[in-house]
Amino acid sequence: MRAPPQGAAGVCFGDAMRLAVETASGLVRSQLRRLKSSSGNSILNLLLVGLNHRTAGLETRELASFDESGLPEALRRLAGRPGVEEVIIFSTCNRVELLARVEKKPEGLETLESFLSETSSLTGEHLSRKLYRYHDDQAIRHVFRVASSLDSMILGEPQILGQLKSFYSIAVEAGTTGTYLNGLLQAAFHAAKRVRSETSIGDYSVSVSSAAVDLARKILGELQKAAILIVGAGKMGELAVRHLAGAGAKLIRVANRSPAAAHDLAQKFRGEAVPFDNLMKWISLSDVVLTSTGSPEILIARPMAEEVMMQRKNEPIVFIDISVPRNVDPRVGTIDNVFYYNVDDLGAVVDANLQERRKEAVLAEKIVEQEVESFCARLRSLDRSPVVAQLQRRIEEICQAELERYLKRSGPRSEKELQELEWMVSRIAGKIAHPLITQMKSLSHDSLHDEAYLDTIKRIFKLQKNSET
Amino acid sequence: MAWVLQITMALYTVGLLHSLFGFYQKRKLFINLALILVVAGFASHTAFLILLGIERRHVPITNLPESLCFFAWSLTLTFIVAYFRYKINVLGAFVLPLVSSLMILSELAWEENHAIPPILKSNWVYFHGSVAFLAYAAFFLTFISGVLYLIQEKELKSKKFRFFYFRLPSLQVCDELLRRSLFAGFVLMSITIITGAFWAQQAWGHFWSWDPKQTTSLITWAIYLILVLYRLSSSWRGRRAAYISIVGFVSALFTFSMSWFRSLHAYL
Repeated sequence: MRAPPQGAAGVCFGDAMRLAVETASGLVRSQLRRLKSSSGNSILNLLLVGLNHRTAGLETRELASFDESGLPEALRRLAGRPGVEEVIIFSTCNRVELLARVEKKPEGLETLESFLSETSSLTGEHLSRKLYRYHDDQAIRHVFRVASSLDSMILGEPQILGQLKSFYSIAVEAGTTGTYLNGLLQAAFHAAKRVRSETSIGDYSVSVSSAAVDLARKILGELQKAAILIVGAGKMGELAVRHLAGAGAKLIRVANRSPAAAHDLAQKFRGEAVPFDNLMKWISLSDVVLTSTGSPEILIARPMAEEVMMQRKNEPIVFIDISVPRNVDPRVGTIDNVFYYNVDDLGAVVDANLQERRKEAVLAEKIVEQEVESFCARLRSLDRSPVVAQLQRRIEEICQAELERYLKRSGPRSEKELQELEWMVSRIAGKIAHPLITQMKSLSHDSLHDEAYLDTIKRIFKLQKNSET
Repeated sequence: MAWVLQITMALYTVGLLHSLFGFYQKRKLFINLALILVVAGFASHTAFLILLGIERRHVPITNLPESLCFFAWSLTLTFIVAYFRYKINVLGAFVLPLVSSLMILSELAWEENHAIPPILKSNWVYFHGSVAFLAYAAFFLTFISGVLYLIQEKELKSKKFRFFYFRLPSLQVCDELLRRSLFAGFVLMSITIITGAFWAQQAWGHFWSWDPKQTTSLITWAIYLILVLYRLSSSWRGRRAAYISIVGFVSALFTFSMSWFRSLHAYL
């Protein structure tokens, strides 16, 4: 560096500028060289390792699964391993997953895999083939999708969210979660809630017995006031009635050849057992008639249904025949206000419902994507504000140091000159740093670029983790 | 004052788009937004009609554009009432297109400085006309619920569970809306015919002169009477009632159009 000329404060302008520029550019050049050789280490260091119904058979899943009572112990053991900072374990019948925040990813991955291999008594190689491994953004997305039931065996089934919540609280109680995983799980629950409320992914039932409820509702509206008659006391019939009762049906009658079985079933639903021989009377008093007997013959023929409709003054009636062989003549469905469905028809409802769920899943994926992005942005802004502060501090330090060096060489200055010099140096340094800082503050969407950018800034200005604390 | 009308039309149009999208995508959020927009549109629509009435010193139902505008208002009113009563999400997608079309037609046919013939400056006319449009609006709702019923019934009976099965309300709701709007429309139409007769006595000198408008409205009224009676006896419900509601509405349209034929009732 050239020796700065002596003189009035006005002359100092050129020197101060050169000083600031050279300091900044020298820093950038030397750090860029170093950057090229080192590998990127992201801010998050999130890992998810696991297997599910798609990657592993039931036997493997059974072996890998964690016993709920042993879970706190397992969590603490895993959290105690070197390099593991936070951890949660999910273990349902369809998936076993370890979600962790680690110090370094390659080592962390090894730790998680070997832990899974130890606890499952599966050999590393056998296990390794069934595992999926997600990093950072991918891991976040995966957890969000699982919570929203987009990764479930039955798409959109509602239980998974509750299961995740309980595994999360086990980890919280075991003390193995921290700021990052807490935030991640809360955000995942939020995403799942949005998916539930903004899509109708869970609105369509996907079991045969609940499809009967769907149909009855589409015809009769709400079922609170509907009268239900079950003919036969079979297991399938009971399941369907359970769903009808769950949908609010209160008036439930059971007709069966054996009065004792009718009585037993009726009691389960606070219903009423009615005599089997006066079937027609009870049918005409019912809005939904569910047949599930072992009888090989038709119990409800078309003329009988016509008679029933006369007595009902054309009030609509729904026949659901889940018995095989059938108990209701399919031709009753051609009568006005009579709706007839058999097992195959219920199956068709289930198929249609599943298809609707798949359509809704497309929208749900978009919601998840939005939530992943907004969560990542939040994480980064958390991570970023210290970087901005550090950068400002660092620039100030450089300015002060260089100013002192300059003053030492050029001799003492008057108070006024000193102030002007200081002002000028800090102004110039500030102007150079300004675009960097505004850029950092505006980062929020493009995750990969953002991280790389922040990382670069950190490296160039030697802002390392030590100064974060 | 024109800007009030423009705001109304903008709100209705955006509301219509939201309800169509909400219907297609089954998005409750858009249905709710549509409802907010339509209620706001209805408020400004009401304000517009009041301002217009004050400016022109008569109830704005005395020429075609005024009547279209008033009919659109009646339809929106019945839509809002029906929506809050039955929470039929898809109703907007079926009713609002007509509302928007009527508003556009009204705007296209708009006449400034409209002077009305002295014969129409009568409280009988105002009452008779307003009630008539409310009756038409109610019957339109009957018609729409009949159509919805038939579509949903077809899905349920054919056992092919497709687009409409997932979107349309239950048969029970369709049937209930059909019944309620039918009864309301029938009462309103009866009032319309009676007040019309009194006005005819004043204006033409006879209560009833078998004018084409009077004749067709009597036929329409008779069709709805039959439907009401069978409905009350409960033997016609569901599909049959839905068919008759469609026939009745076609007849009502015919009645409405009678004003353009050689009729004493040539105002509308």
